[in-house]
Amino acid sequence: MRSLTAFRMVVHDRSSTAGALLGVVAIVFLVGQQLSILFGLLNYMSVLVDHSGADAWIMSANLRNVDAGNLVSTRYLDRVIGLGEVEWAEPVLIGNGLFRTRDGSFESVRVVGTRRPRMAGGPWQFARADEGALLDLEAVTVDRLDLAKLGNPQLDQVTEIGDRQVRVGAVTEGVRAFQGTLVFASLDKVSEIARTPPGRYSAILVRFTANADPAATLARLRALLPECSVFSSQELSRLTRSYYVVNTGIGGSFGFSTVIAVLIGGVVISLTMYTSVLSRSRDFAVMRAIGGRRRDIAVVVISEALIIAGIGLFAGFLMLATLLNATGGSSIPSYFPAQVPPILAGGTLIVSLLGSLIALRVALKAEPASVFH
Amino acid sequence: MTTLRLEKIARDFSDGRQMRRVLLPTDLKLALGELTVLSGPSGSGKTTLLSIMGLVLRPSEGRMFLDTLEVTTLSDERAASVRLKKYGFVFQQPMLIEGLSVMENVLLAYGVQGGRLRADLRPKAEGILRTLGLDGTASMQPRLLSGGMKQRASIARALIKDPAILLCDEPTSALDAESGQAVMSILKRIALEEGRVVVVVSHDARVFPYADRLLKIENGAVVSDTRETYTAGRESP
Repeated sequence: MRSLTAFRMVVHDRSSTAGALLGVVAIVFLVGQQLSILFGLLNYMSVLVDHSGADAWIMSANLRNVDAGNLVSTRYLDRVIGLGEVEWAEPVLIGNGLFRTRDGSFESVRVVGTRRPRMAGGPWQFARADEGALLDLEAVTVDRLDLAKLGNPQLDQVTEIGDRQVRVGAVTEGVRAFQGTLVFASLDKVSEIARTPPGRYSAILVRFTANADPAATLARLRALLPECSVFSSQELSRLTRSYYVVNTGIGGSFGFSTVIAVLIGGVVISLTMYTSVLSRSRDFAVMRAIGGRRRDIAVVVISEALIIAGIGLFAGFLMLATLLNATGGSSIPSYFPAQVPPILAGGTLIVSLLGSLIALRVALKAEPASVFH
Repeated sequence: MTTLRLEKIARDFSDGRQMRRVLLPTDLKLALGELTVLSGPSGSGKTTLLSIMGLVLRPSEGRMFLDTLEVTTLSDERAASVRLKKYGFVFQQPMLIEGLSVMENVLLAYGVQGGRLRADLRPKAEGILRTLGLDGTASMQPRLLSGGMKQRASIARALIKDPAILLCDEPTSALDAESGQAVMSILKRIALEEGRVVVVVSHDARVFPYADRLLKIENGAVVSDTRETYTAGRESP
């Protein structure tokens, strides 16, 4: 009966319910949208590592993120390739260049060179053609979302990157990075474009055999290459993300806007529930007079908060899902890991309950004696 | 047989600067089957006395017993449970909860402490509403009822628990004469036929003929206590 009473009050007090709902929806939608962009950007930061298919990355010493390494020598590749725990080891070369568009202007791109035929660390999703196109020494990939920026190059169109002739061999799908437009090419082509010395790479990617102990193999690689940084892919991904989150101010910026959204939502919930309960003070006094205990009043108020939070969560997530679907194929980075919705829902529920505390205090103050004038 | 017994019950209120005694030490015993009217001018202490009888206000002095149970020392929680089991209230305004239907308002008096409602309560509530002339109003919202109907619905809310004690605070003051008479007739019948303690606070002289016992209060003290000679078998006025 207490929950039913709460439900009836929520339905009857439409204006205050709408206000509190707005607060819940604001939290879910605004925070969810902020988080989806943040996670989208986080994915972009470590995209090369996360899609490399490698278990370990060997890079130069004292590395702070995957994009800030010095070149390493090919002799490290020779040292690890023969280890029993290593299934394969492949070099990757990352450099920068200027992509000449159709109208003669230039666009800065990040070129990633992979070794044929395995092309480890190469592109992983295609809109047109496939990784086979990179078997051609001249071929490069461009991403569908970067086509407009690069002057809408067509397949097989010949252009230049860093004054070196290239041919657009494939169009990737969603292969983008935080650090700039990604263009994949062969190792030799990137070496030409970036003008790196021969036998030098940005990283050596290592894949362990199926029966290798990852921790032990990592330790062995570190012992074998004390002058290098050896990371598992997960470690390097985490290091890179942490680096950018801390050093670019993205973390603080998103954290601040998330806190503001939570505060605004919490205040809206708090004020509207306070107003609602204040207008119901007489009803709570009646309930106390006819035998309700303080805890029964608390159950009604908390049930109201939970009902509003439940409806608000549904509406908020519906709006968020619509937004994420609409922006899924666009250039807006958005990604919502599966573990985020329950955390967001739980957090919103807690804020809703905290927001109802002032209202609860008012409700509990309703004196049964006040019903007698 | 339930009785309500007051021994030297008094109440003080503070106006922020000094204490003021609004109810002088009062001895009273109320028995089943009687409609008692508390009458007196505004500020005389009758509502204070009713609030203490109803366990919604603690006395400053004295003791009160419900049968053998001393209720003046009960905790808030325990007092609420006693109110739930033993008391019914009819207020000056019907004070039905908007948003709940008439039936839900009636059942709330039973389910305010939670728990599953017994299956027989709904038919019982319908029966009470029918008896009070509110047939067909169960699913209606209180705002759609007239003032008299609302007050009768509030009586139904008080009766659903079969309370031993029914306390009514100016139940007719917001009603027209006809509705007021109807309500008082119902209260009189409840006292006599259902054998309950019914206490009505009123300064409306039209209520007095329904009283089996008339207590007059002035300046916080019971100044007269007269019993009517009506018997249980006699028709009410």
